[in-house]
Amino acid sequence: MAPPQTLVQERLGGACSNAITAQAWSADGELLAMATAGGELLLIDFRAGCEELLRGERDSSLNVVGFSADDRFLMAAGQGGELLLWELGGSGVRPIAFDPLPLGGHWLDAAAWQPQGCLLAVGAGKQVRLWDGASRTLRVESQELEGTVLALAWSRDGRRLAASCHGAVLLWSPDDPGQPPQRCATASAGLALGWSGQGNLLASGQLDGSLMLWPDGGAGRGWQFSGFPGKARALSWCDQPGRLAPLLAVASADIAVIWSQQDPGAKGWKPEPLVLHEGRVHAVAFAPGSRLLATASSDGTVALWDGRGRLQQLLEGDGQPFNSLSWRPDGRHLVAGGAQGQWWLWPVALPASVRTRPPRSGGFAP
Amino acid sequence: MASPRDRLPVTVLTGYLGSGKTTLLNRILTHEHGMKVAVIVNEFGDVGIDNQLVIEADEEIFEMNNGCICCTVRGDLIRIIGNLMKRRDRFDHLVIETTGLADPAPVIQTFFVDEDLRDQLKLDAVVTLVDLKHVEQHWDSEEVQEQLAFADVLLLNKIDLVDVEACLAIQQRTRALNPLARVIPTCQADAAMDQILGVEAFSLERALAIDPEFLTSDHDHEHDGAIGAVAFIEERPMSYKKLGLWIDRLVTERGPDLFRMKGIIQFAGETNRYVLQSVHMLVDSAMDRPWRDGETPSTQFVIIGRDLDEAALRAGFEACVA
Repeated sequence: MAPPQTLVQERLGGACSNAITAQAWSADGELLAMATAGGELLLIDFRAGCEELLRGERDSSLNVVGFSADDRFLMAAGQGGELLLWELGGSGVRPIAFDPLPLGGHWLDAAAWQPQGCLLAVGAGKQVRLWDGASRTLRVESQELEGTVLALAWSRDGRRLAASCHGAVLLWSPDDPGQPPQRCATASAGLALGWSGQGNLLASGQLDGSLMLWPDGGAGRGWQFSGFPGKARALSWCDQPGRLAPLLAVASADIAVIWSQQDPGAKGWKPEPLVLHEGRVHAVAFAPGSRLLATASSDGTVALWDGRGRLQQLLEGDGQPFNSLSWRPDGRHLVAGGAQGQWWLWPVALPASVRTRPPRSGGFAP
Repeated sequence: MASPRDRLPVTVLTGYLGSGKTTLLNRILTHEHGMKVAVIVNEFGDVGIDNQLVIEADEEIFEMNNGCICCTVRGDLIRIIGNLMKRRDRFDHLVIETTGLADPAPVIQTFFVDEDLRDQLKLDAVVTLVDLKHVEQHWDSEEVQEQLAFADVLLLNKIDLVDVEACLAIQQRTRALNPLARVIPTCQADAAMDQILGVEAFSLERALAIDPEFLTSDHDHEHDGAIGAVAFIEERPMSYKKLGLWIDRLVTERGPDLFRMKGIIQFAGETNRYVLQSVHMLVDSAMDRPWRDGETPSTQFVIIGRDLDEAALRAGFEACVA
């Protein structure tokens, strides 16, 4: 048996003054943005080799950050209840801030850019508001939910938007206002939402320790999987096709669970619990382009797993709990943020067990 | 999970409309107590808005497990406090103001039911403000009764607006309803800060403080559906097994009607005290310190709830003597 391969041999890092709450990479992988509980917003420009504090420390938290699909805009929001936007000119060009958009005084912690589009969905209280990057304005019309919006997710094609609250997940097509929203009832509050690429499944991690899954873009009858040891607080779909559905990772209490669909029935989903961490797992993320899974825990470690749940490597920071994780779109660099403001960036070599064949060019599909 | 010492103390502030909650909040925020206090309010109103640690939250009730009252929590608090706890180094104490018409139970239960809040915070006390001048008018409202019943600290406010007899009469009525709470008459909610913050009323180690008068005086049996309290004192040691089964059955059958229970228990063959407290069906109990020299081991047990049949409860309790 070959000796285990070391995936990570070096690391970069830095520190903000407060707990890191969210991190995001630009689509081209050249920019990395980090938000903190002390309101800082740090933008790192790798090509230009510089960093800029777009927003300094203040007594108001930022909780969500993201780049538009075309990398033209950067968004952040949090406790202040304002949507913050910057126009980006690419590497080496200073971002230009828009005037902050007040959204009713709610603590904003759910926002998502449309894939393959320029809409930004933001949860503000019970409403989902849309900021349109084409017109650079906030749309007047909004979608009202029956409770506070807790999570938002776009389908991979950017056509459907899902929003969760206590008791329901609502699905609609923002670009087709004539179509009424579809309501999927749930027994508790949805904390994390995610759409798969293959199969167009919608997953919702629930406050009551269950996972809801709806096939066919939410049109099919949902499955509920219960028995998680705590809240199903975070989830991530693998972007590599599975035999049926792709792999789905869900974080709950001290574990992550990889779900794989073995056959089409309700009993066809098999869980593989990943037992290692000694504290809450706060974030899970499959690396783009492979089946490598990263899990970040309050025990101060980040673990790398293959798609069958075998531990590949355990990464350590300086002992402080990890809050967030974000893969660079190349799937070869992982950034994690800590509860005291430290962040780490690890270049990751993909192990053979998670590598997948590059997409074929030409020829026939199997 | 943080040790109890490291968990952030939380004070829940209740009181009917106009009872002086905002006055008290402003006192807490401006008082030189050396603590940084974060406050969650239901409406900014007149609260010192300059203070950045004042956060507005819209009351949002999450019913879990098919609407069981004991699993009803405040979803907005789970979300807001979850966000706030990432800024844990910025404050030492959290105060939650409830609306005048709120049932305090979901707020309290949130801190026992939610896994994140349970691990990071600890309930310090439920502080209820009573408007001495107007409470008679609202006495029969469900909200007022529940706010009184759940209180650990009762501030009988606006003492300057009523005469001594009226104040004593209300004090007695509140006692009959809640013999566990510490009663403090105030004017302009001017209670000492250490009687409001850092009370540790939910700490099991804290001795039970039943007003001795409650144990000796007769209580009028009020109408059906009334909220009231019963207290038992037993010198004979109790049976661990029997009392455990009785309490299990009691909270299973009557959970929604049982607001608060507290007890210090002497078990047969045990040299240590056993302490217990509950909110609806959520029971927290543990073996405590040994009985001290000069202390007569005995059991004290108080139940605050709705429709309590004192005779039946007493019979059930006494059947648990070892």
